[in-house]
Amino acid sequence: MIACCAIASSAPLMGANTSLVLAASAIFGATAGAVGTLALARRRSLLADVAAHASLPGVCLAFLAGEALGLGGRNPLLLLAGACVTALLATWSVPRLARLRGVGSDGAIAVTLSFFFGLGAVLLSLIQSHESGAQGGLNHLLYGNAAATTHADLMTVTTVALAAIVLVALFFKELAALCFDEQHAAVLGIAVRPLDLLLLGLLVATVVAGMQMAGIVLVVAMMIAPAAAARAMRGSLTAVVSVAAAIGATSATAGVLISRSAGTVPTGSAMTLVAAGIFLISMLAAPSRRRGVPA
Amino acid sequence: MSGATGQDLARELLQFDMPVLASALLALTACATMGNWLVLRKESMTGDAIAHSVLPGIVAGFLVAGRHSLVAMFIGAAIAGALAVVLANLVQRRTRLESGAGLGIVFSAFFALGVALLETQGARQVDLDPGCVLFGSLETLFIAPPPDGHWLAGVAHETWVLAAAAALVTILSLLFSKELAALCFDREHARVAGIAPRALEPAMLFVTSLAIVASFEAVGSLLVVALLACPSLIAAPHARSLRARFTISLAAGGVLTIAGYLLAAHAPAALGTSHSLNAAGMIALLLGAAVPVSFMLLRLSASVRRPISRRQA
Repeated sequence: MIACCAIASSAPLMGANTSLVLAASAIFGATAGAVGTLALARRRSLLADVAAHASLPGVCLAFLAGEALGLGGRNPLLLLAGACVTALLATWSVPRLARLRGVGSDGAIAVTLSFFFGLGAVLLSLIQSHESGAQGGLNHLLYGNAAATTHADLMTVTTVALAAIVLVALFFKELAALCFDEQHAAVLGIAVRPLDLLLLGLLVATVVAGMQMAGIVLVVAMMIAPAAAARAMRGSLTAVVSVAAAIGATSATAGVLISRSAGTVPTGSAMTLVAAGIFLISMLAAPSRRRGVPA
Repeated sequence: MSGATGQDLARELLQFDMPVLASALLALTACATMGNWLVLRKESMTGDAIAHSVLPGIVAGFLVAGRHSLVAMFIGAAIAGALAVVLANLVQRRTRLESGAGLGIVFSAFFALGVALLETQGARQVDLDPGCVLFGSLETLFIAPPPDGHWLAGVAHETWVLAAAAALVTILSLLFSKELAALCFDREHARVAGIAPRALEPAMLFVTSLAIVASFEAVGSLLVVALLACPSLIAAPHARSLRARFTISLAAGGVLTIAGYLLAAHAPAALGTSHSLNAAGMIALLLGAAVPVSFMLLRLSASVRRPISRRQA
């Protein structure tokens, strides 16, 4: 609702496309908040960071493939598909690496990031050495730039984010059971493994949808901070997910507005700072946790 | 004629390739040495967090005191790093978040602040590109001697900083190897043995941060993270002792660093394009790929050895 107010009050002040950008960013923010809450509860939030960084090589490969096939490098559907492939590959490899002796989940995350983001850096430098690549604007993906999005980008982002949020709503009870009590979920006869894959898919879809606006490097903050802020307020899971979605939408639209008015601030930085600020306030305002005293 | 081209080639090697490679290897020495201690303590994430949170401090230091002011850079980074630690502890105490998520919020926010500062204030004054923050500027560290000066005067200041950091880290690690090892393997034993983890742990974190800040400008945050975690994990399946772990990690890291640089700088020319590729990214990519390969090699050698011994038995 706050997001809607932001759209209504600011639309007349800016260009024609602004309301579309704001609507798309609000939908992305709400999805990030909702999916982030589930990921946080399942302790998968840093997997979102890996997925985001690992989408860079996929985007670059899709760009090169698009050029080679004559589809044009900046085909939003192709870029999205490429990003999903490498992001899923990275999230698949993290638990496998973590099982190796002495590696652990921290090490697995660092190793996967090094490989995929390194590959992304190499491919990005290859693309930017071509003339068409320099104009492709792929470097905007690092820190996010809402002003550089095209109509087709926004439509893709909105579709993916809406699909993710619909899936969360449809499987809410099962996902909640999975995230908060896996054994209970198994006892209830919920298929844990397919559901876990669904959550992973939602995570990757959200991150990839947010790439254009929040940027690859900072999109993880939009997954964790609104969810953490909402959790500090406590309440039923439905309430926490809704509050997280509202905080996500607010930070995303505020980020777009700030980066528009401040000119050179990347959209991702602005969104992250707003979301982290809201988290800080909600954390300090929440009753502090003391052992033995029911909160 | 072949003599002249040979001389040109030698000169190009000395002026361009050697100083860049030397800088990368010094960054490897500083980061991988401290990284070994971090990985043994299962704290690779801490290195990642430090590498991201120091950015606003570095940018603010440059803004206040001008580019190339090393003192300002280190003071700024120290303040930002300390603030991030305080905030992360506060988040840890006040919420029930897993530690990775709390760290994730804090370091993303600090990195976002750094990028915003860079883009709004720093465009002209700081001369630090937001792309370089991630992927480094190794390629620019060649020797550019002044027309009437000694070639040493042309060595990039990043290279000197890296040399100092590598020397400091190596000396401290050698001097305190027994204490640090005790801290990594058995904290309780270390405390009983009078090693004082409460003093040694912050000191270790501080030296790690020094290594990270010294490397940050030259190699970027991506390669810093890779250098901290990967060499130690490459050595993990093969090392039977602490000394072997350090030796294997530095040797394997060195080989991969040199290979990565050569691939990035010279492979495109061999394939007929004129542009070189990002060196930091190529090195990180090789280091990341080498970890699973290293574990596979162990399994392979074990499976080769086993059938023979059975046959003999």
